[in-house]
Amino acid sequence: MVMEIGIALDVSRLAHAPQETVALARLAEERGLDLVVVTDGTAQRTTGLDPWTAAVWLAGSTSRITIGAPAGGTSPPDPTDPEAPYPKVQAKAEDSLDILAPGRIISNPAGWVVAPPDAKPEDLAGAAESDLPVVVPVHSREDVERLAALVAGRDDRAGVRRRPAAVRAHRKPGIDYDGVPASLAETVVEPGDPPYRALSSTYLRGGGPGLVLRPRTPAEVSDAIGFARRHRHLPLGIRSAGHGISGRSTNRGGLVIDLGAMNTIEVVDPARRLVRTGPAATWKQVAAALAPHGWALGSGDYGGVGVGGLATAGGIGLLSRNHGLTIDHLRSVDLVLADGRQVQASREQHPELFWAVRGAGANFGIATSFEFEVDEVGEVGWAQLALVSTDIEQSLRRYGELASAAPRDTTVFLVTGQPRDGLSTVQLFAVVDNPDPDIVVARLTPFLELGMLARQQVVMTPYAGVMGSAADVGPDGQHGFGEPNSRSAFVPTLTPEFARDAAAMLRSGAVYFFELRAMGGAIADVAPDDTAFTHRTPAFQLAAMGQNDKRLTAVWEPLRRHFDGLYLSFETDRSPQRLLDAFPAPVLERLRALKRRYDPDNLFRDNFNIDPTGDPAAVQEARA
Amino acid sequence: MTDYGHDLLFGVFATPVAQQARQVVDLAVTADRAGLDLVSFQDHPYQPSFLDTSTLLAFTAARTERIHVNANVASLPLRPPAVLARAAASLDILSGGRFALGIGAGAFWDGIAAMGGRRLSAAQGVTALGEGIEIIREIWDTDATGAVNYDGRYYSVKGARRGPRPAHDIPIWVGAYKPKMLALTGGVGDGWLPTIEYLPRGADSLPELNARIDAAAHDAGRDPAAVRRLMNFMNVQFSSAPRGLLNGPSEAWVDQIAELALGHGVSAFIIGGDDPSMTQRFGAEIAPAVRAIVERERRPAAPDRTQGEA
Ligand SMILES: Cc1cc2nc3c(=O)[nH]c(=O)nc-3n(C[C@H](O)[C@H](O)[C@H](O)COP(=O)(O)OP(=O)(O)OC[C@H]3O[C@@H](n4cnc5c(N)ncnc54)[C@H](O)[C@@H]3O)c2cc1C
Repeated sequence: MVMEIGIALDVSRLAHAPQETVALARLAEERGLDLVVVTDGTAQRTTGLDPWTAAVWLAGSTSRITIGAPAGGTSPPDPTDPEAPYPKVQAKAEDSLDILAPGRIISNPAGWVVAPPDAKPEDLAGAAESDLPVVVPVHSREDVERLAALVAGRDDRAGVRRRPAAVRAHRKPGIDYDGVPASLAETVVEPGDPPYRALSSTYLRGGGPGLVLRPRTPAEVSDAIGFARRHRHLPLGIRSAGHGISGRSTNRGGLVIDLGAMNTIEVVDPARRLVRTGPAATWKQVAAALAPHGWALGSGDYGGVGVGGLATAGGIGLLSRNHGLTIDHLRSVDLVLADGRQVQASREQHPELFWAVRGAGANFGIATSFEFEVDEVGEVGWAQLALVSTDIEQSLRRYGELASAAPRDTTVFLVTGQPRDGLSTVQLFAVVDNPDPDIVVARLTPFLELGMLARQQVVMTPYAGVMGSAADVGPDGQHGFGEPNSRSAFVPTLTPEFARDAAAMLRSGAVYFFELRAMGGAIADVAPDDTAFTHRTPAFQLAAMGQNDKRLTAVWEPLRRHFDGLYLSFETDRSPQRLLDAFPAPVLERLRALKRRYDPDNLFRDNFNIDPTGDPAAVQEARA
Repeated sequence: MTDYGHDLLFGVFATPVAQQARQVVDLAVTADRAGLDLVSFQDHPYQPSFLDTSTLLAFTAARTERIHVNANVASLPLRPPAVLARAAASLDILSGGRFALGIGAGAFWDGIAAMGGRRLSAAQGVTALGEGIEIIREIWDTDATGAVNYDGRYYSVKGARRGPRPAHDIPIWVGAYKPKMLALTGGVGDGWLPTIEYLPRGADSLPELNARIDAAAHDAGRDPAAVRRLMNFMNVQFSSAPRGLLNGPSEAWVDQIAELALGHGVSAFIIGGDDPSMTQRFGAEIAPAVRAIVERERRPAAPDRTQGEA
C-alpha cells in the first residue's frame, strides 16, 4: 500500500519561532515528504497563531507539498460574538485556498492521522491502515531528516500515480474513482485536480461534475462509455465545445465525457471537397481551416460553438438560406454506441442511424468524427448593424417581411431585448453570399428602415471572418454559472399578430435576449423525412432567454399559438410535451424505436432525451 | 498647506478575481520587486467571483519579501473582530511585521445578510466599528492581565484569550467618507483610507474632510498627525497628454502626487488598474521622483540659504 507521510507543526511553535518552523515545512518538501499539517495543541493558551492563517502562509511558502489546514468550526454564526467566524466566509476561504494552491489542501482535520513523535516504521504503517495520510509532530530539522530517512525508498506503485489525499478529499459519492479504465487514467480529471476548475463550467452553465473523462481516440471513448455504463445512477454529460443550452454538457456530481482533445480538421478529398472534423473543433476553427481553399461550411452565428453539439442537432446559420443546414452537408459520421461499439453511419451504412443523428444525435451515441461535403464560398458581405427602434412591433413585422422576401443569398438574423424608455436596440447580423459589394449594399439597404442606424459595420470577408470574432477559450476554461433559461420555437410565418405579441413579451422585461433566425431558401429544399430534423418549412426560428424561468414561461406561453414545433438546441424546458414539439409524433415513434435498438438502457440522456420505454412516467423520472 | 510629515508609501490595489488567481498573486510579486510599499485587496466576501481576502493576504505575503499587505478595506460585519485580530497578528508575526489592518463598517448589506451577517444602519455600523476596533486592540494587548471582557451594544465577549501579539504595532486604517466615520477615524484610527473617486468633489474635498478628522483627533486629545492619510486611485493611466488626475505622462503624475502630499497631507498613494507594467513604472519612475520633491520641500529653510550663497 502507498502511504502518505508528513509532519505536524503546532501553532504555538509557529508563534515562538516562526522562521525556523516555516523552514521545517520547506525542508519536508525538499526531502520528498507528502504533507505538512498545522495542529492546534494550545487551545487554551494565549500565544498560538491562528491555524488557518498559518496554513495559508505555509501553502504560500511551499510549492508542491500538501497542506493540512484545520478549518474553523461550523457553529451557526453569532454576529454579537467577536470570536465566532461566519461558516460561509470560512467555506469561501477554503475554496479560495484551493484555487491558490490547487490540489494541495486538506481542510478537514479528520483528513489525517497523527502518529507519536518517536514513531517507528511499523507504527507509521499501522496508522496508515486507515488509508489516511500520517503525520508526525516535529520540532527540529533532525526530526524532519529522521522521518525522511524512514520513508526514503518507498515503493511508489509503478505506472499510474495514486492521487494524494488532498485530491481524494474532494471525491464525490457514487463514483468508482479507482476503477477508471487504464487508457483514461492519464487524462481523467477529478474535483481535487488542478485543471478541474477550468473544466467544470460551460459557456452558459455552471457545474461541478464528479469526474471528467477525457478520451483522445474512439477506443478511449468506448472505454469511457463502458465506465459510464457502470454509473447509470449519475448524470452523464457529453461535451464537445461546451456551448450547449438544451444539452447538459456539465452537471453536479455526475460524469462528463469531454471530447476536447478530438478537434482535428483535415481535408479528405479536395476534388469532392470532403472534410473531416473532430467533434470538439469549433466553427471558428473549421471556418479558418476551410478559408484558404475558398470553401465554407455553414454553421450557426457564433464561432465558439462546437461541431459535436451543432452538427448532431441541425445548424441554422448565416449561410443556411443559400446552402442549407449544417447537417445537410454531413456525408458520414463515426459514432461510438452505448454498448461501446464503433460504427460509421451514412446513407449506405446504418442509414436509419444516419437519419437519426441528423437532428437527434445526442440520443444515439458519441460522434467522434464527422465527414462533410463543404461548399465553394467566396467573399461574402458581412454586416453587423445596430438600429434604434421606437416601435419594436412595427420593426419586427417589417423585418419579417424583408427577411423572408430577400433572395437566397441573403440571411439576416435579428437580436433585441427589453425596450428602455420606449426605445429598442435592434441588432442585425447579416450575410450576403455574393462577392459584389454593390449587390451587398443593395440587399441590405431595405433593412435600414427598421430603425435609426446607430452603428454599422459592413465588410467583405471570407466566411472565416464571420466566425472569427468569437473569443477563444483560455486556460481558465469557460465561466458560465447557474442555469440558462431559454425557449425555442419555429415561427411558420411572421404575422402582425406575432409581432404584436412578441413586442408585448419584450416590454414585460422578462426576456433579455431575443433572436429571430431567418430560415427558408435551401433549408426547405430537403424533404422533411430526409433527416430527424423535420421542420423544413418555417420562416423563422425564435430563441428567447430570461433571468427567471417562471417569468419567462409566463410571458412565453401566450405566444405559443404562433408557433409550430421547436428547434431543440435553444430549449431548456424539459417537460415531455417539448419532445413532441421537437419531433412530431410519427418522427418521435421512429426515433424511439431506434433508441430501443441502439441505447435500450438510455445511457445518452443529457439533451432532449427520447426515453426508449416511451412511458411518460419514465420521462418524468429521467428529469429528476 | 497641510502636511503631516509622514514618510511616503506607494502601493497597488489588486482586484482579487478568483478566475485570475495566478495573475493576482503575480501582480503582488511584481509590486514587491518594483520596490512598492503596499499591496492591498478589497474585501467583499459575498462577491462570488472574488477570492477570500484574508486568505489572499496571507498567501501573497508568503510569496513576497518586503512589501506590506492590507485589506482595502476589511468588511467588519463579516469579519468578527477577535477573529480578524488573531488572523492579523498571526500574519504580522509570520511576515515579520508586514501587515496593516484596513477596516470599514461594511456596505452592500444584502450581500452581508446573504453570508449570515446582520444588517445595520449606517449609524449603527459606525458604533459597531468603534467597538470592533477596541476589541481588536484588546486582543493584541498581551501585556494586560486577565482575559478580554467586553460588553458593548454590538459585540460582547467574556473571557476571550489574548494574543497572539503582533510583531509590530499594526496600524488600523479606516475606510471613511461620512462625518460620523471621519470622526471615528480621527478619534481612534491610525490612518484614513478612502478612494479619491468616491470623495464628493475628488481632491477638492480633501481640506474639508481632513479638517473633520483633525478636529476629532483634537477632541480626543490626539495629534492629527497620528492619523496617516492614505488614498486609493482607481482610474489611473499613463498617457501622452495630461487628461486628469493620474491620467497623463509620468511628469504630471509626479507633480500631482507631490502636490497632494505637500498640500493635503496625503502620504500613501495606492493605484488600481491591475496592470503589471504600470505597477513597475509606479515603483521605478514615480515613487523616487515624488520622494525627492517632497524631501526637498520638507527640508527646513536650508535650501533657501544654499540658493542665496550660490
Ligand atoms: C452563443 C451561441 C450561439 C448559438 N448559435 C446557434 C446558431 O446560430 N445556430 C444553431 O443551430 N445553433 C446555435 N447555437 C446552439 C448550439 O448549436 C448548441 O448549443 C450546440 O449543442 C453547442 O455545441 P457544443 O459542442 O459547443 O456544445 P456542448 O455543450 O459540448 O454539447 C451540447 C450537447 O450536444 C450533445 N453533444 C455534444 N457533443 C456531442 C457528440 N460528439 N456526439 C453526440 N452528441 C454530442 C450533447 O447532448 C451535449 O450535451 C448557439 C449556441 C450558443 C451558446
